[in-house]
Amino acid sequence: MSVEAKQGIAPLRIPAGLGGLLPALILIGLFFVVPVLALLLRSVTDPAPGLQNYAALLGDVTYARVFFNTFLVALVVTIVTVLVAFPVAWMLAIMPATLASVLFGIIILSMWTNLLTRTYAWMVLLQRTGVINRTLMGAGIIDQPLPLINNLTGVTIGMVYIMLPFMILPLVGTLRAIDPMTLRAAALCGASPLAAFRRILLPLSLPGIAAGGLMVFVMSLGYFVTPALLGGTSNMMLAEMIAQMIQSLLNWGLGSAAAFILLVVTMALYALQLRLVGVRRSTGGA
Amino acid sequence: MLLDYDRLGWLKVALLAFTALAAAFLLLPVIFIVLLSFGSSRWLAFPPPGWTLRWYQELFADPSWIEAALTSARIATTTAILAVVIGLLASFALVRGQFRGREVLRGLLLTPMVLPVVVFAIAIYAFFLRLGLGGTTIGFVIAHTVLALPFAMIPIATALEGFDKSIEDAAIVCGASPLEAKLRITLPSIRIGVFSAAIFSFLASWDEVVVAIFMASPTLQTLPVKIWGSLRSDLTPVIAAASSLLVALTLALMIVTALLRRKLQT
Repeated sequence: MSVEAKQGIAPLRIPAGLGGLLPALILIGLFFVVPVLALLLRSVTDPAPGLQNYAALLGDVTYARVFFNTFLVALVVTIVTVLVAFPVAWMLAIMPATLASVLFGIIILSMWTNLLTRTYAWMVLLQRTGVINRTLMGAGIIDQPLPLINNLTGVTIGMVYIMLPFMILPLVGTLRAIDPMTLRAAALCGASPLAAFRRILLPLSLPGIAAGGLMVFVMSLGYFVTPALLGGTSNMMLAEMIAQMIQSLLNWGLGSAAAFILLVVTMALYALQLRLVGVRRSTGGA
Repeated sequence: MLLDYDRLGWLKVALLAFTALAAAFLLLPVIFIVLLSFGSSRWLAFPPPGWTLRWYQELFADPSWIEAALTSARIATTTAILAVVIGLLASFALVRGQFRGREVLRGLLLTPMVLPVVVFAIAIYAFFLRLGLGGTTIGFVIAHTVLALPFAMIPIATALEGFDKSIEDAAIVCGASPLEAKLRITLPSIRIGVFSAAIFSFLASWDEVVVAIFMASPTLQTLPVKIWGSLRSDLTPVIAAASSLLVALTLALMIVTALLRRKLQT
């Protein structure tokens, strides 16, 4: 390749040329692209060629409810996560290093702890006879246990818990990149803290909020484990429905079609996120 | 003034209080599970009426838990090695190469991280059913390596982008072969990235639930599949014991990472 000639030094054959990409491309091509395409093909061929699977999915009230639930939960989770993450990221960005490293430790511990372990904790905490209900009843705030699990409340709490680190960590970066001088200048010019927040801090951190929020939204749309364990059977989410169509109902055509819809929505939002932040920043530089 | 920690005034108190609550929200469920695993109540009453090691004894007395943990460890270790090697080769090509379509290829290799796992899970499940790889260790390792590759590539590529290539070129000018220069100069310089890649891709496999649920067979299940199965039947404290050991493992990994980072950076 002309690239190697340009470098002027001995051509680096094994890892530096295109050859280094081969193992990765074979792996991803053969075991990712091909299976996913085969699945999509199945959505228009199983049981018979045609779009009847999509027609069935989009024309049925039961499925419409699942789509609606999925979007609703993803939206609520995203909003709550942003609202909780922003003040935390704000403090993390400016607090003394020792305190910040303790907080980072807590966030990483939570993030790295096994997903099922964390979901299990919430199942125990939120159940009818769980700590939260008992405490509230003991304090006389409620006299009936609150229905916190097997419904969308439980799913939302569990999902916010899981998504929080994914929102906090990138936001800290955004906030740290803002020059404190701009806010000092605003204060000198007589801006109230509220005005400074509304007109400077918030607009400057908006790209981070948008990118992180979009990522949380996309992840929530396709989430399987937490909704399956904390949600109820009457208000299923999309990923769980897809798994059930394949695993219990063995309806590959319908399951593949639902998977394709999820894929298209996810990829479209991902593309939007890339436009917002660029490939490098959204994937941490890889 | 909003970004000056010492000049926030009353706002600082409010924000710090909120941050403390959020930190408690993140930390308490983990602590709660560890406490429950030592509690004597089968119905997970809290605070526990007494303390016991019974759930740990039950856990270790059950060979299926041990076997699941060993299976997970085997699959995750193989996955981590494969993902790091493949990720290293690919990162060199992507970071150093100047060919057309580089960004597209980069995006393609990172897609498994973005696509909802459930879509990949049923796709690879169907594919492996046809190939006869369903329920096999090889099938597990291949599927997990696909998922782990982005987690391996990101830290390696980042480290490689921060490495000054002229140092490697200097070694070659001084007589080292290109491969030797890479192994003895470049690789040691990006070792923090490689190490992070190993940890992340290990965890990507070790914690992976969705593909594993589809891929598992009665004779081959990973730890998450075993926990998943128990969770769906009842909330026995044995799961709390298993979970606490996983928390301990996470802590150990965090400490090792922090120590190694400190050591490697000096």
